[in-house]
Amino acid sequence: MRNVAIVGVGYCPVFVSKRNDVSIPEMISEAIHNAYLNCGLTPENVDAFTFGNMHTFEGVNMPHLWSIDHLTALGKPIMRIATGGTTGMSAFHCAYYHVASGLYDVVMTITFEKHSEGDAQVGLAGIITPEIMTVLSLGIDLTGGSGMGGLGGGSAGGISFQATSYLHHSGAGIEHIDAQAALERRNAAKNPYAHLKDPECTAEKIAQTPLVSYPIRYGHICPTTDGATVCILASEDKAAKIADKAAWIHAVANCTTDATTGNLIEGLITDPAEQMSCQLAAKRAYERAGIEDPRKEIDLVEIYNGFAHQTLMFLEKLGLCEVGEAHKMLERGETEIDGRLPVNASGGVVSTNSIGTSALNRVTECALQIMGKAEGGHQVPKKVRKALAHGWGGLMQYNTVTILGDAPLKR
Amino acid sequence: MSEEKKQDFRVVPGAWELSGYNFRVEGRGMRLMMQGMKEGKFTGIRCGSCGMVYLPGPFYCRKCLVEIEEPVDVGDHGTIRSFTATMSDIRGNPLPEPQVTLMVQLDGCDSWIMGVLRDVDWREVRIGQRVKVKWRPSEERTGSLQDMDCFEYE
Repeated sequence: MRNVAIVGVGYCPVFVSKRNDVSIPEMISEAIHNAYLNCGLTPENVDAFTFGNMHTFEGVNMPHLWSIDHLTALGKPIMRIATGGTTGMSAFHCAYYHVASGLYDVVMTITFEKHSEGDAQVGLAGIITPEIMTVLSLGIDLTGGSGMGGLGGGSAGGISFQATSYLHHSGAGIEHIDAQAALERRNAAKNPYAHLKDPECTAEKIAQTPLVSYPIRYGHICPTTDGATVCILASEDKAAKIADKAAWIHAVANCTTDATTGNLIEGLITDPAEQMSCQLAAKRAYERAGIEDPRKEIDLVEIYNGFAHQTLMFLEKLGLCEVGEAHKMLERGETEIDGRLPVNASGGVVSTNSIGTSALNRVTECALQIMGKAEGGHQVPKKVRKALAHGWGGLMQYNTVTILGDAPLKR
Repeated sequence: MSEEKKQDFRVVPGAWELSGYNFRVEGRGMRLMMQGMKEGKFTGIRCGSCGMVYLPGPFYCRKCLVEIEEPVDVGDHGTIRSFTATMSDIRGNPLPEPQVTLMVQLDGCDSWIMGVLRDVDWREVRIGQRVKVKWRPSEERTGSLQDMDCFEYE
């Protein structure tokens, strides 16, 4: 298997609620243009493409095909992947397989979401429509609060059970979720490609936002963002010629377990905070990357956190601290931009969530930190040799992990 | 944005007139459970290989990948494994009182079920507390998920 490097990253100029000035293909084009500019390549240099966004979120299907000329992919191999929140990283893993296998030398991953043109709730509801229709037909009451009803009530419902369970098992309190959200809003203020920015944000300020579904407050929840992200991967022999600085892919892994909260019909509801699939994916990634002690060897982490408690929860699931220690690391300031282990220096998904891009942004942010190219003041002061990017989604149980390094892995 | 470009850009309203779908759903485990509910009890399925008890039961074990068919009675008392207090309804309108929904592991069962806990102070709810099912009166039970009224403390 060949070594593969990230040689170029391109973002659209801003990540905001509504990009009224561009269409979907135009917004994607901006990120593609920036990716080419950043590494000096042109469309002729790219052999194949992978594409990621969520189905039906914009009310359209096959965007990779009807925008094909905007993607600079006419006449080239292309495939689209949609795996929920992990979509961006799945499309990236697919590009990695393309290059590592030796089939292609230079591959571009393109991701986007333009929430303002559609309705993400329709796309999300479509995931479990048969289940919902079944339990409704059998007498469940989703709104009135009787019987076996209330599948969590509202969009933050399922995640609230996860947060409650996490707090119980870790010993953390809701005030720690407040503090984590505040930290990420402050980090986002230093990232030109973040959405919700608040340089003065405090835990007290987050604590004043209303409870949506205990223990989740409004201030703990990600926004819906318009944005596009592009990443260019190259084989080892090509990478040296293309880029002065590169980030090297040491390992990719993904894993799923039962659809824990998504299958009432077949008795599969268990703890949404267990996230065994995250633990398994991380274990495989560490093995593939030759990492024996991730707590010593990983210098920086980007965690997928649509909701602020997930930063702390996944820090534990990824084996980067003991169970019950993540919120203490937060208290000690160890996860800040200038801390011992910077976590979500970008501001995380909780500050910027254009879903198709979100898991890829975890990877590109790690890559830029390794290259020393993170803009706007969120470059961490420490030298980053190895970084871990995490993705989460599916039916609450699908996890992806990518480990990057500052040099090719010796195989 | 220039005036010229503003004029060139349009927002075209669109909506999907959704078609109808016909989902085929495996219903044996659900039927078994609801038949029991009519009598005021829960019936799950036990895996003879690993002993895992599911409610409602699938007819194969997720872990062992073998067919399973042993009906087993599951208790109607259980332990709170997680919970939330929802402040608004499914459309986002504020509720007069927060609605407490539980994830409960019933005694003798490995999978969890969900349900409402009524007439409690949501601030007092904790993981690990014991609850029991409040059934509807037997004459009102019809063999549906409505036969369980809600959870209440033991």
